[in-house]
Amino acid sequence: MKPTYFINFMMGMYIFIFFAYLFGPLIVMSITAFNSAEFPSISPWECFSFRWFNEGKIAYDGQHLAGLLSDWRLHDGIISSLIIGAGVVSLSVPIGMAAAIVLTQVRSQLRDIYYSISIMPVLFPGVIIGISTVVLWDRIAGLGGDGFISDVGRNGIFLTILAQTCFISTYCFLIFVARLQRFDQTQEEAALDLGATQTQVFFKILVPYLMPAIASAAVIAFLFSFENYNTTVFSILSDQTLTTVIASKVRLGISPALSALALTIIALTIIAAVTYEILRRRSEKKYAQSQEIFVKEKAASGRINKEYKVGFKVPKGIVAILLVLVFATYGATQIVKNDLYGQSCIDAADQEKKSKFLEQLQTLESNELTEEELSGGSLGGTEDYGDIFGDPSLFQDFGGFD
Amino acid sequence: MSADVELNNVSVTFGSFYAAKSVNVKINGGEFFSFLGPSGCGKTTLLRAISGFQDPSEGSVLIDNKDMFGIGPNKRPTSLIFQNLALFPLMSVSENIAFSLEVRGISKKDRQKRADELLELIALEGQGEKKVHQLSGGQKQRVAIARALAVEPKVLLLDEPLSALDLKLRQRMRTELREIQKRVNITFIYITHDQGEALTMSDRIAVMNEGEIEQIGPCDEVYNNPLTPFVATFVGENNPLFGKVKEINQNKVKIETPDGDFLSTMNENKKLNIGDEAIAFVRPESLFIPRDGDNFDNQIKVNIESFEFEGNIKNFYATLSSGTRIKFSIPNAIDTSSISSGTKLQLGFESIKSSILPKAQLAID
Repeated sequence: MKPTYFINFMMGMYIFIFFAYLFGPLIVMSITAFNSAEFPSISPWECFSFRWFNEGKIAYDGQHLAGLLSDWRLHDGIISSLIIGAGVVSLSVPIGMAAAIVLTQVRSQLRDIYYSISIMPVLFPGVIIGISTVVLWDRIAGLGGDGFISDVGRNGIFLTILAQTCFISTYCFLIFVARLQRFDQTQEEAALDLGATQTQVFFKILVPYLMPAIASAAVIAFLFSFENYNTTVFSILSDQTLTTVIASKVRLGISPALSALALTIIALTIIAAVTYEILRRRSEKKYAQSQEIFVKEKAASGRINKEYKVGFKVPKGIVAILLVLVFATYGATQIVKNDLYGQSCIDAADQEKKSKFLEQLQTLESNELTEEELSGGSLGGTEDYGDIFGDPSLFQDFGGFD
Repeated sequence: MSADVELNNVSVTFGSFYAAKSVNVKINGGEFFSFLGPSGCGKTTLLRAISGFQDPSEGSVLIDNKDMFGIGPNKRPTSLIFQNLALFPLMSVSENIAFSLEVRGISKKDRQKRADELLELIALEGQGEKKVHQLSGGQKQRVAIARALAVEPKVLLLDEPLSALDLKLRQRMRTELREIQKRVNITFIYITHDQGEALTMSDRIAVMNEGEIEQIGPCDEVYNNPLTPFVATFVGENNPLFGKVKEINQNKVKIETPDGDFLSTMNENKKLNIGDEAIAFVRPESLFIPRDGDNFDNQIKVNIESFEFEGNIKNFYATLSSGTRIKFSIPNAIDTSSISSGTKLQLGFESIKSSILPKAQLAID
């Protein structure tokens, strides 16, 4: 084996392990969403089903396990999370932008101090931000008696927007700082020189330049707000967001409906990322074409290779796509072959569980405990241990505490 | 519509540092005026004082006899063309040109009309829809000029706008700038460190050094009759010959140097006395190899060290008997194939083509 092959092999292994570590849990969780069993699992596989995306199930013992569509607490949580996300975006983007613009105006030593103070909220534990927001607003709400201030100061959604904005605006600040560092300030001067007012310079020169940063800051702010737990859990008070709902569900016992939710979120994320990438590539291609036209106009015609043709290129992701297809086909054939799908399978599984449950009930009934067994029986009764403390020789060597 | 620009005793300080010191200059309406000086001499500071980005610490800037103190750059009748041009990359060429009209609330139709007019002026008709990045260097340059002219400023300020272009383009843009200035007939104030640019385009130039103006005058006067050794060596090339004044006869001065006595011409504004330390200057192109019948005022013995071929001329580097190095240029039309390193020659130059000045700082190459 040549050393380069070995190195390539090791590199491949490393990448495989790394990605398995990153995406393994997500893949397993996504598969469990399609298993009809009450507990998220791959094996034993019960039936292939979409029930956890829909209505969930009513178990044989009468317990209702909600699916994604029928879980109203989850829906309320998602709605609160969306409202909070929108609030956080509309506050932290302008705050971050303003702070970054101020940074370009301050000079030398003051600049470092200002920068350090500005990024400090990121370093605070989210718990502290959450608690301190609640404590502050509780005081404020207590000032005016009953009324608007009191209502607002004890509104969980309002407090959560404020608390999250505290540190999320800092991430926005960092995004704007990065973009502003590349800003050519002579453009502002040029606009001023051409007669623009400061306001016009801001809206016609600076804001268009910052547009990509505004977009990415908004996306980042929304994502951070949507997934935040440790600040939210304190500041949300009696309301619920998606994360707090999930957390309280996990406390009661995990359900495949959460897997279904996770898969939905992953799918939405992938769709958004792919759409963005397609749009980006399209605009890049457009730019490249315009440049090509420009070069062709400028260059002497003899220097353009007219015979140039783009050869067929195999997309690099083809191996991954093929692998996924092979596994999916194999899984699907196994499910169909063993009749592990559809209502009949679910009914059969329920029937089996019900009979097992009845069996257990019968066993319990037939082994009814006697009075003697309940009070300890032959092993656990008090009489066996009763006279441990009655033994007069037990403490005879104990000299006492003093 | 052009305006006079007057700088009265203008100083600009940053802390204890004088970026510009007591500058007095009156630029006439419709003039092409250049500030010429090495980097860091304060010429850009002066331009920022005229355009309104920097108020002078002392003195006043007058445009059309109106004191401009406290008036911002957006309220002054000036337009500035930046060194990096500062075109707006997110706008099309037309939008760039019409920006000054847009911020003044002029209708889109009128803006488009004016942009088309200006595109014609800079010979870029029909290219208004292009983005800035689709233009070549020279085209960008012209768009920047059109953008600055769109509001019909009374004064156009140019901050080394040609420095990023290659030589051929720079030479062409010089002619074009001059033509545009004649067509629009407004005051142009041009900043450069390139003496070639300043001399070819300007009506008058001001040579600056360390925040102060050393000389103001028409190009040929500054070149032929420099007022200070700095100007003599910064504008064009010059060979300095150090010595002491030996004889004065009206404006003819004889200077005694280690390499002999030379006759030179004294500037009437820079009087010298016998015994003063002085420098006589002679330009490389004023040194000749005498031919039969030539009779020069001054003779000078040189020992050729090296030479370089520049195309139209051939430059020779030589030493005098004292070790002083001088340079002289011979047009390529004259056969100089017999001269090589080690050749000893006798050169001559006319006293009228040599100037003598009191000893002072030279421009450092």
